[in-house]
Amino acid sequence: MEKVNEMAADIVLDLRADKVVESVKQGKRLDGRKFDEYRKITIKHNISENADGSARVTLGETDVIAGVKIVPGDPFPDSPKEGSISVGIEFLPLASPLFETGPPGSEETELARVVDRGIRESKCIDFGELCIEEGKKVWVAYIDMYTMNDDGNLFDASSIAALAALTQARIPKLEIEGDSYKIVKGEYAKKLGLARKPLLCTTTKIAGHLVNDACFAEEKAMEARFSVATTEDGYMSAYQKGGSGSFTAKEIDECIDLAFAKAKEIRKLL
Amino acid sequence: MSKKKDETIEYVKNGKRLDGRGLEELRPLKIEAGVLSRADGSCALEWGQNKVVAAVYGPREALPKHIQNPYKALVNFQYRMATFSVPDRKNPRPGRREMEISKISGEALEKAIFLERFPNTTIDVFVEILDSNAGTRVAALAAASVALADAGIPMRDMVSAVGVGKAGGEVILDLNKDEEDAPDAVDIPLAILPRTEEIVLLQMDGLLRPEEWKKAIALGIKGCKQVYGVQKEALRKKYLEAEKEEAEPNTEAAAHGEGE
Amino acid sequence: MKKRIVIPGELVSEERKKVGPHVFVENGKIYSDSLGLIYNDSQDASVVALHGKYVPQRDDLIIGVVVQETFGGYIVDINSFYFSFVSKEFIRDRLQRGSIISAKIMSVNEINEAELGQVRFFFGGEIINISPVKVPRVIGKNASMMEALKLGTGANIMVGRNGRIWAKGGNTQLLAEAIKKIEAESHLSNLTNKIEAFLKEKNKGVKEGDLFEQEKR
Repeated sequence: MEKVNEMAADIVLDLRADKVVESVKQGKRLDGRKFDEYRKITIKHNISENADGSARVTLGETDVIAGVKIVPGDPFPDSPKEGSISVGIEFLPLASPLFETGPPGSEETELARVVDRGIRESKCIDFGELCIEEGKKVWVAYIDMYTMNDDGNLFDASSIAALAALTQARIPKLEIEGDSYKIVKGEYAKKLGLARKPLLCTTTKIAGHLVNDACFAEEKAMEARFSVATTEDGYMSAYQKGGSGSFTAKEIDECIDLAFAKAKEIRKLL
Repeated sequence: MSKKKDETIEYVKNGKRLDGRGLEELRPLKIEAGVLSRADGSCALEWGQNKVVAAVYGPREALPKHIQNPYKALVNFQYRMATFSVPDRKNPRPGRREMEISKISGEALEKAIFLERFPNTTIDVFVEILDSNAGTRVAALAAASVALADAGIPMRDMVSAVGVGKAGGEVILDLNKDEEDAPDAVDIPLAILPRTEEIVLLQMDGLLRPEEWKKAIALGIKGCKQVYGVQKEALRKKYLEAEKEEAEPNTEAAAHGEGE
Repeated sequence: MKKRIVIPGELVSEERKKVGPHVFVENGKIYSDSLGLIYNDSQDASVVALHGKYVPQRDDLIIGVVVQETFGGYIVDINSFYFSFVSKEFIRDRLQRGSIISAKIMSVNEINEAELGQVRFFFGGEIINISPVKVPRVIGKNASMMEALKLGTGANIMVGRNGRIWAKGGNTQLLAEAIKKIEAESHLSNLTNKIEAFLKEKNKGVKEGDLFEQEKR
């Protein structure tokens, strides 16, 4: 869509963003939350029977769906014994007046890659276990996410949804005949092993203050954001700084502390 | 869920189907209106295993300008399936099937909407299929119609839709996947304006005789009206309290009655 | 005052009646075109819509926001299908992107574009959104709801027909909550009393006049 429409959708939000800044300067958020307080999180498992694992997560009014499909694929030449994962997100136009249909934009790509790194680098999935036949076939776990409603902090909502779907995911039963690999529909060999539970926690910087779980208006007002993926056994598996503003090293430390503390709370809901 | 091409399967036995339903029985249908806060109108629908979310945006200015029609609004219907909504992972890119369904579903809605009141605008209808088991296009259309009403878009009537067809030699309502895979399966997606029974969407694939069609259309219209009943209840649900309250004489209310 | 919920295409009346908003006539019968309420004691056949976009009407008072300045004037977002244009000739104040104005709709053309007049500029304040079809409820009978809101929140309020409410001073946070409540319960009767009670409850412990103290700040 053209610029004019974007301007229309933006103008009232711009006014709202000014209010956010004004309020945060006075130590308050517009919806009355504490700076580090998350909105209510709900997790619904198994929302799609056709998926090998699925979940729907709401974070306040932000709403994201994730589904996992585990399918036989070709291994990478440099890792013939390892399976892999693939994370994708689509900002569906049904989720916001600002989203439009089309190939993935830079925001979608960034989000998917950060969630991907958080999961992949945490080594929570043993890629070796996803090997079917060395050098020939391996399992690829596709984690596909869709936005249903965007009221900010899609990063954390997506990360929770992806992990919630993975905790449910099962590896299908396979029939091998010579060179043909066929999935037996509706039957499963085993659960997908998940050694740890990496979760992303994003802290935004608004008017010099650190604020967690920014809603849409707060995201409009933020200078920068910093996301950290943490695990329950004290590791961090991904960082991502975004936005045009900056953080001091001290602030980054604070963000990390917040990320561990918040992820711990969220993990209890899984 | 495997394909049942076996001739020996009895799709209908003693008036009951494989899943225990009668010949003229719908799968359980649940509809909720107004489920997404950012959309102008929205709807969540569950129909058997099918799960659908629909959102409506608009009428909003159609852009780029050259697509505008100075006499009426455009209906932009987008039917999409999530990659995990089908047994084999679907390619995330929209395919030809999705494009065709989007086109005819949009056209089905056009008849119902007072398009001429909103020249140069577009009414965007987005439907995402989250889980599927035959009959997703009629589920999508039924959900879209509720989302349009929830968006306050003026319409001549709702659009109600159902699948009807044939399996195991019998004309049946609302086929599931097993029945769609029957050797003699005929699938007829149908949508009507329930008040006038005007048909706004009709497709068919399979081999069908005229006398079977007569039976099928009668059954289809009956099914659509059942769907209409559920759509109506979904829209009224939020406001039913008002009717109950008004049914009992409330003197206080009368004293402070507010007009519009 | 009995009312009934109707959905699009549902019969409103089989009698010949004067036709009001949100209905249409087909084969001599009157049907609703929207999800809405019909009041049985009403003289004409009409439906009060429960949802819907703002369609500009002549003489409506609206709240607009400046989107862009051009050489001759300003482009204003009026929460409808198109932006409107206001010539600089009619405004003494210098506006910028984000400036809030009120205006009267002088005319509407066949594609729903609106011409604005009687433009007034607001200094500061903020905008609260409400579904345009629910604006009459925010005003109330003889502006009773407006009075209740002003009294209960101490805010200066101006309600635009286009679903935008300008507010300044007082407790605008509480005002936003009250408006959300009106929006959610707009179909219930006795709403003004309910909102009065709601505001009273929320203002417990706040001394009379304190609300207006805030306003001066």
